[in-house]
Order: sequence, then C-alpha cells, then structure tokens
Amino acid sequence: MTQQRRSYQIGTGLFILFGFAALAYLATQTTSLANFRQGDSYFLKARFTNIGQLKLRAPVKLAGVRIGSVESIALDATKLDAQVRISIDKHFTEIPDDSAAAIFTSGLLGDQYVGIQPGGSPDMFKDGDEFVLTQSSMQLEDLIGKFLVNGSPQKPAPDAAAPGSAGTKPVEEPAATSNPPKH
Amino acid sequence: MTEARATPLPADTALVEVRGLRTVLGGKTIFDGLELDIPRGKIVAIMGPSGTGKTTLLRHITGQLMPDAGTIHVDGQNVPTLSRSALFALREKIGFLFQNSALLTDFSVFENVAFPLRQHLKLPEELVRNIVLTKLQAVGLRGAAELMPSELSGGMARRVALARAMIRDPMLILYDEPFVGLDPVALNQVLKLIRTLNDTLGLTSVLVAHEFAAVERAADLIYLIASGKVVARGTPAELARGESAWTKQFFGGDADGPVPFQYPARDYAVDLGFPARASSTDTRSTTGVA
Amino acid sequence: MSEAGKQSSPQQPSMIGDALAQVGACGLFLLQILAAIPRSLRHFKETVRQIWFVGAMSLVIIMTCGLFVGMVLGLQLYYVLAKFGSTAASGTVVALALYRELGPVVTALLFAGRAGTSITAEIGLMRATDQLSAMEMMAVDPLEYVVAPRFIAGIVAMPLLVCVFNALGVLGAHAVGVSWLGIDNGTFWSNMTESVDVWTDVINGVWKSVAFGAVCTLIATFQGYTTPPTSEGVAYATTRTVVFSSIAVLALDFVMTAFLM
Repeated sequence: MTQQRRSYQIGTGLFILFGFAALAYLATQTTSLANFRQGDSYFLKARFTNIGQLKLRAPVKLAGVRIGSVESIALDATKLDAQVRISIDKHFTEIPDDSAAAIFTSGLLGDQYVGIQPGGSPDMFKDGDEFVLTQSSMQLEDLIGKFLVNGSPQKPAPDAAAPGSAGTKPVEEPAATSNPPKH
Repeated sequence: MTEARATPLPADTALVEVRGLRTVLGGKTIFDGLELDIPRGKIVAIMGPSGTGKTTLLRHITGQLMPDAGTIHVDGQNVPTLSRSALFALREKIGFLFQNSALLTDFSVFENVAFPLRQHLKLPEELVRNIVLTKLQAVGLRGAAELMPSELSGGMARRVALARAMIRDPMLILYDEPFVGLDPVALNQVLKLIRTLNDTLGLTSVLVAHEFAAVERAADLIYLIASGKVVARGTPAELARGESAWTKQFFGGDADGPVPFQYPARDYAVDLGFPARASSTDTRSTTGVA
Repeated sequence: MSEAGKQSSPQQPSMIGDALAQVGACGLFLLQILAAIPRSLRHFKETVRQIWFVGAMSLVIIMTCGLFVGMVLGLQLYYVLAKFGSTAASGTVVALALYRELGPVVTALLFAGRAGTSITAEIGLMRATDQLSAMEMMAVDPLEYVVAPRFIAGIVAMPLLVCVFNALGVLGAHAVGVSWLGIDNGTFWSNMTESVDVWTDVINGVWKSVAFGAVCTLIATFQGYTTPPTSEGVAYATTRTVVFSSIAVLALDFVMTAFLM
C-alpha cells in the first residue's frame, strides 16, 4: 500500500510538472512574451504627428526583421505630438543615425509596428538618441478621402488643400521616406 | 420485564441512558417517549419489527441524527447538545459495525483496519502494523490483510469491520444487524466474537438484530421496541416465555398480533370496486391473511 | 404504527422551486466545503491521490481531444482564411480561439464527463454503502476527508489540463497548417506570437479554467454526496452531474468572458 501510495505521489508530481511545462510553453513560445527575449537593449526616441493604432510592446522592425519593441508612448504636451520610446536589442548597434522611423501596418488591417529605414550616415545611433526623420501612421480614412477627391491615390494632391483630406493633419504619401520633424 | 419494570438502573452503571426520546422523520413518528438504559459491560440486544427505528436509535446514540425531544446520555454526556468536536471525541470511543460492513473500497483490509489509527494518531508504522495485525488475528483474518474488500465474503467483511470497530479499544460497540445474510458458520463465528470481545475487553455492546435464536445466545438483556416505545425488557429467558401480546407475536412467530400484517389501507371492498357497504365488516386486518 | 403509513406524499414542488432549492443547497454545500478545506489540509496525501485520479488519469483524453480540436480548427480556418488570402493568420486564430474559449470550455466539458461522473459515482456509492457514515462514526468528517480533497484536486488539475489541451491544440494546428497544408513555419509562429498576449489571452483562460474546475467538482461532489442511496439514485446523480456541469460551465463562461474582456 505504501508503495502504491508513493507511486501515486510521483505520478501526481509528474502530472503537475507536465501541466506547468505546458503553461510555460504556451506563455513563452506562442505569445508576445516570445518576442521579449531581447536581453540587453538600448533606447531611442521618435516623434510622430500621429501614431494611429500603435500599441505598447508593438514590434520594431528593420528590413522586416524584429529588432526591438515599443517601450512607451506619451503625448508631448507642448509640441502636441506623440513621443515614442523604442527599445532596441543590444545586438543591433549598427543603425545609422540618419535612419527614418515610420509606422506601418502589417497586412491590410493588421497590427501596426515601427519600421526603420536605414540611412547612409557613417555615425551610428547611441542610447537616448532621437530619430530625425519620422513618418506617421497612414490613416485609412485620409487615404480614402484623397481617393474620393482625386479619383486615384496615385495622384497625390501637391498640397493638402483638398477639402476631404483633413487639412489639419499633414498626410504623408506612402512612398515618402522622410518628413522633416517640426521642431 | 415489561414497560412497568423499566425503572432506571443505578446511574453509575448505565453507559447509555435514553430518556423521553421523540423522533419524527419525514412526517413519521419513529420514537415517542422511548426510555432505555444500557448497563456497562453487558451485551444488550434491541429487537423489534422492521421499521421500528432500531437503526435510528443507534444513529441517535452516535449523534448522527438529532432527536426532536429527549436526552441521550452516553458516558455522562448528553449527545444532542454536544459540540462538533466533543461529538467527534465521543465517537472515537465508540465502535460501530454497519449492516453492510461499510469497508472503504479503495483500501486493503489492512488499511481499512488501520484507518482510524492513521486518522487520529500519529503512530510509528511498526506500531500500527502490530496493532492492526493483533486485531486481525483476533477476528481470524490476519492472513487476509492484503486482500481488497471486494475479494471478501460477507462474513469476512463483517469480521474485518469488527476488527476496525475495535481498533481503538472503544468503550462501546454498536452492532447494526450483525447476523443478516450470514450462513450458519459465519453467524456462529460472529456471535462467538461478539461474546468473547465483550467479556475479554470489558466492552459494552449494543446489538440490533432480528434473529432471536442468535441473540438469545449472546445477549444479557433484550429490549423489544415497537410503536416508538419499549414494549418489553428482560433477559432472553424471560422474553422467550412470551407473557405479553408483543413478545408472543415476536418470539412466538405468530403472523398477526399487535404488529399488523396489513399495511394501513382503504376499505378492501372499496379498493376492489365493490359498492361500499354502509357497515361492512372490517376487512383490514383479517381478510387476505392466508 | 398505523398512523405513520397514512402520510400522503409531500406536495410536489414546482420545477422552478425545485431548481432554486438545488442551487441553494449546492451553495450551502460550497460553504461547507470551504469551511472544511483548512481542516482537510492534513489529508494532504489524499489530496495528492485525488489529483492523480482527477487530473493525471484525464490526461490521455484531454491530450487526444486537444490534438484533434487543434487539427480541425487548423483545417477549417485554412479553408475559410484561404478565401481572403490570409492563411498565415490561422495560427493566430487557432491560438486565440483555444486560449480564450475552446481550451477552458472543452476541457471542462470533458472533465465533467470523465472525472465529474467518476467523482459522483464514487461518492454516491460510498453513501449507498454507508462508507460515509462509517467515516463519521470513526470521527472522520467525510467533507474533510472525501469531498474537500476532490474539490481541491479539481481546482488544481483543471488549469493544468487546460494548458496541456491548449498546447496540444496549437501543435495539432501546426501539424495540419504547416506540415500538411504548407503555411510557412516562420509566418505561422510569428503571426501567433505577435497577436497573442500572455495576460489577456493565456492567463485569462487559466482563470476561467480555475473557476470551471471549482464548478465541475462542486457539482460532482454535491450530486454524489446528496444522492439517494440506491443504485438508481447514483445513476441519476451521475447524469445530473454531466448535465448541470455542462450548463454551469457554459453559463459561467459567458459571465466570465463578459467580465474578463
């Protein structure tokens, strides 16, 4: 009987271990926790006039490869734009300091992420630096507005005077690589 | 030997004292002013027709069921008023043998007998083993220690249950129908055990049974319960003489008597669809008795 | 004597009153269990044994079902999502569907069928064969020794079973989607890892499963404990365990989803 009891206990212990292993697997391998495996990282800042649906912990990608995540999002009370803090894995130190940060959408309606388009400067970003060139999130509504007015998104209006295009917000063309920050 | 003689024995000798017990279960009055004493060191049999609440009485003594009125003193404590912990402490001193043995099906014979020890005392394994094997030896089943309850015959299961009931050396053992379903050999074994255990261990035993032939050989004192009261009390020899209507019917084996053969029913003729006769003879208690 | 038999059968209470009484009795039973839990901690070994019976013994059915549910989901989603050209999202949808809903609910239903019925039948038979009374007579509270360990075991085992179910489901979807239908392995995982959140998805599912574990074992032990001590009574009690557990799990799922969202 005691032998039997002991085997129950061992079996139960194994079962509990197995269950927790499954939980650990779910939590670390199939969720965004899997993307937190950036050990040491450094931080960069970027200002956007509109961050759209960008969320905390959204990925930061360079050439489509994830190199970091969005650390914090705050509104700058004086300049009235969004200040986004980005953490980038220590391994990726070779990012030219004239690179541009843009907010993209994965797929047509997917989540938004920060994409970095590398520049050509010989100097590299250091911890705490700020992106000079940023490009805000594309607003689907604005695009549709333009489309309705101009008949085609391929022919962007030279200025944002078109009545439907929400003139208060500067809207960037999708192909634009830079947007001089308004300091 | 009848109700009139049921004067209480000297208080210091009665282990269980029931006074004015009244119980209503599901609208049915089981006991109505029941009074009895169970003297220390004796084997007392409680007999009576089926459905008179003999088992209910045992459940009162162990506090599993609360009476509607009356007192039940066991070893000086009034059971219905005891707190949960006091009740459990009292139960540790009472052994109970269930009609169907009620062995725990998950455990072997050994573990079943050891169960009360393991639950209440932290004894070294060796000591547990010695105590359990001693008790199993007493009921003659030491060799069956490793069997599971499903592998036992009815008589063996009852002996295991007996070993379990006395594992803590109780002051009182209650037997609920210990002879039911036993073949004559097993019955004699159980009977002998009850007698021997009572005499050698100085226990008090309460026996609920129907079999007068068996009870006669074991009991010192018999209470006959019917209609919620004690209707007869005395030694087996006294009751066997059958001086009242109750004892005559019960021990003489008459089919009809104070205990009616017919369950209470409507008029027989009406039930059969005959027009009700204004002053029909009472068909209830006589018709239909073959 | 003759008076006793004349009792007419008690007036049949209405269905609703009956159901309310059951729910009320079940709630009181829960309070009794909760009160007995501190005292039942000394029956640690019995609790471990029950986790073995309730949890480890359900592992095979949970794993098998998890695998198949995941595979079916993978297949169905591939078929639907292919119409929108977004089959790569199937991993995400499978994971979210499993973690948030299907994992806890299906596991709880399987648990009610496998472990719940055996708890009810076991306790019901213990009642019918006087084993519970025998324990009371040996000064062992059956709530403390029989019911509470099973209740704790249910609460401990269910979340673990759900995690196993989910893991197998994801692997099943992966097997179908990636190995069979040819979704890119990297896309499958990266889509999933980007959209699934530990707290709002995985851990919320675990909370649900804790609640389901409590409800299923509560109903199972209650039905067993209060069953009429006959073979017919035990049979009905077992059926009721499955029916009531299923209803309770699905209703509670709705309530919890509304609160956890």
